[in-house]
Amino acid sequence: MERKLQQLFFALSLLALVLILVAEWQASTPSWKPYQRKFLQLEAQEEPNAVSKAAVLATPLAINQVVLPGLQRVDRCTTCHLGVEDPTMKNAPGPFHYHAGLGPHVPSKFGCTICHGGQGLATDMKDAHGNVAFWQTPLLPADYVRASCGRCHKEGDVPGVPELTEGHHLFDTEGCRGCHKLNGVGGSIGPDLTEEGANHRSPEWLERHFLAPNAVSPGSAMPNFHFTREQARALTYYMLSLTSGDMGSYYSSERLIPSPEYGRQLFVEKDCIVCHAIGGIGAKTGPDLLGVTKRHSAEWIDEQLVNPELVYPGSSMPEYDLESNARKALVAFLASATPEDAQQMLTRKGHPLTPKDAAIEAGKQDFARFGCAGCHGTELQGGLANPNAQGEQVPSLLHVSDDYTKDEVIGIIRDGRMPPLDNVKGPTPPLYMPSWKHVLSDEDINRIADFLWSKQQQKKESW
Amino acid sequence: MKLIREIWQSIVRRDPLSTDKGKSELVFLNVWLHIHPAKVKKENLRFKHSFYLGFITFFLFIILVTTGIALMCYYRPYPPQAYQDMKDLQFAVFMGPFLRNMHRWAAHGMVVCVFLHMCRVFYTGSYKKPRQFNWVVGVLLLLLTLGLSFTGYLLPWDQLAYWAITVGTNIGSYAPLIGGQLRELLLGGHSVGEAALLRFYVLHVAVLPSLVILLTIVHFWRVRKDGGLSRPVWKLKPQKQEALVTIGAPAEAVPLHVAAASTDKTYGLMEVVTGKPIFETITPEEEEDTVFSYPYAFVREAVVLMGTVTTIMMMSLFMNAPLEEMANPAVTPNPAKAPWYFLGLQELVSHSALLGGVVAPALMVLALLAIPYFDRNPSRRPGDRKWVLWVFTLFVVANIALIIVGTFFRGPGWAWVPPWVHVVARPE
Repeated sequence: MERKLQQLFFALSLLALVLILVAEWQASTPSWKPYQRKFLQLEAQEEPNAVSKAAVLATPLAINQVVLPGLQRVDRCTTCHLGVEDPTMKNAPGPFHYHAGLGPHVPSKFGCTICHGGQGLATDMKDAHGNVAFWQTPLLPADYVRASCGRCHKEGDVPGVPELTEGHHLFDTEGCRGCHKLNGVGGSIGPDLTEEGANHRSPEWLERHFLAPNAVSPGSAMPNFHFTREQARALTYYMLSLTSGDMGSYYSSERLIPSPEYGRQLFVEKDCIVCHAIGGIGAKTGPDLLGVTKRHSAEWIDEQLVNPELVYPGSSMPEYDLESNARKALVAFLASATPEDAQQMLTRKGHPLTPKDAAIEAGKQDFARFGCAGCHGTELQGGLANPNAQGEQVPSLLHVSDDYTKDEVIGIIRDGRMPPLDNVKGPTPPLYMPSWKHVLSDEDINRIADFLWSKQQQKKESW
Repeated sequence: MKLIREIWQSIVRRDPLSTDKGKSELVFLNVWLHIHPAKVKKENLRFKHSFYLGFITFFLFIILVTTGIALMCYYRPYPPQAYQDMKDLQFAVFMGPFLRNMHRWAAHGMVVCVFLHMCRVFYTGSYKKPRQFNWVVGVLLLLLTLGLSFTGYLLPWDQLAYWAITVGTNIGSYAPLIGGQLRELLLGGHSVGEAALLRFYVLHVAVLPSLVILLTIVHFWRVRKDGGLSRPVWKLKPQKQEALVTIGAPAEAVPLHVAAASTDKTYGLMEVVTGKPIFETITPEEEEDTVFSYPYAFVREAVVLMGTVTTIMMMSLFMNAPLEEMANPAVTPNPAKAPWYFLGLQELVSHSALLGGVVAPALMVLALLAIPYFDRNPSRRPGDRKWVLWVFTLFVVANIALIIVGTFFRGPGWAWVPPWVHVVARPE
């Protein structure tokens, strides 16, 4: 008995030793090492002589990582994808090819997962590509990777990604905010979309959902807007780009693309034409800006825009708080600005709005921006199906002045309302009027009412 | 050579182990081993007598301390770095997964073994006089073990951790008057967040382990002072009870008396107390039943130690500790479940928050603590204590059944869903 126990003790100790060795072997043969060896062999092939070949092959294997505090991530993708920044690897096989067309978005500054998704910290393929349980952002399918541009470039057009602009435009004009919140603004009938891009929904799901909401999530209150395939794709792109994640100061300065179009927009917005002229067209307070980029360097103009008094003591030009990319965009616009541009700007300014018109215009914009159009229609025609609500649909607003006083309408917008039921015992209608008092100011609500009444007026006049 | 021998002898200051004196001295001249008696009863060494559950628990604790210290080198107790450190352990730290797995499985194992150890002690009636207080210490150690496991549960800072602790601490807040404040004190706020993570970390790596070590010392000390393992029932000689003298707490109604010269074994305190100071006196026949701790007890302990270690290592090689998405207060899993050992509680809470979450567990703990003082029946023979055995068995079975129901039979909305039914989550 005693002998056997001693033997058992030694056997168990031996087993423990073996187990430790197995664990160590397991730990020292991770799946990324073969990739690195293969890559080194590929590199060694290029070397001219045996000595340098041996030197390349002797490179110690190591996990490569890009630490990106600004993007709150650590990407270890380059542990296997070793050739992404090496143009000579253009035709390399497997995971080693060069990533062409990155422009300024070099992996050492941006990592990979911010655009591609996946699990940056992982060091084996399955986990890294993120198709594993409990990882919410697997690699985006190639068709949708460009949607990620919108995660940083939130304003202005993104060159090469018209889908994002289109999606953003559709979101603003189709009244999505009527039901969905985005960055705190919008209704509460549908889910908040602020973090939609960070959610684990697959792009395919989103796209099918836009084409036929009820086919993908049965019982959804979302109406079918009969989007085309292109529109559904554009909206999917826009959804994938939605995240409130803080991109850090370095990346947020990259949000705006310094395109001439954006510069032109800024030129109008800041009313530069009030002081400056282009080729003689415009005001004479400041210097004529035609060919200014030829007279001065881009740096000089940049400095001028940041601090006019430092460049020209006593200058009457105000300091505009412009981001560096906004300044670059202005310079880009000035390089190509013509007197015709100035003429166009001046003619647009030609009709100053009366205060009343301005209020109605603002109301119209609010109506579109806060998504009223989503249910009530861009032409106020209503008509979205709403089972078991009176008339089975969302009411038209074209005759609202016949049934309500302005104050009543203001009250309904402010406090919201459940639609009157068609059948009292029937189910609750999916759509209802949310309360807007926490989203819209009283002034906004008054303007929207003004806008609605202006439409009634037009109608009566046309009668 | 002479120097080497001198150095060796300065460290090991005992006679050779071939002699009985050497064997005794190995035990009582060694600070680590002297918690053992020099000689132990043969039947106490039998595996079936105690299943060595106390030892296994202690060895698991040692594994936990060792792996825990190693894990501390890689862990920052604030979000979201805590979660990132888990991923580092999983993907970048050499043998990181193995380390974490060992800690995880040893922790679960310790909860199980402490409970089984308690059951064993109950069924053999070993909490009876004079061992009552040691039972109380044992129950406190059970609670501390649960506390250690619970505080450790939050540290990975994933969804599993976050919601298990949210649910767990919510159960605590059902206590009237102090519940809410207790929860706030534990969490350092109204919900699980940065402050909670730091507090749980401090409790997990400093406060609770220190308490466990202190109470374990008391527990072991009392085992020795109360006469080692209780003897098997079939060896009991009830009539001997009256002859006992209790050091520190004289047996009631029996005055200290001068024992007649006896061949019985005595040790210690000869100048202070007369009489036979060990509770279960040893007769010469019984003397025959004892063996030296070296090697008989030590080899068995060593086998149990290596058995425990290899089992945990084996599990760690083949089973990975779970790690879900990073904690996200905005996304509640349905159902959100507490750690498995609290799922019985959660099941009770689902029926009545106050009764199930506060009254039942409080009564349960109080009853456990009070057992040795209420069960005044001195007999340890199963035939004499049918009633208590049935009640305790009911308690054990009910606990296990509730945990099984909570773990396997509860789905979204805490609805009854058997494990063979697959529920498809409906997207919102």
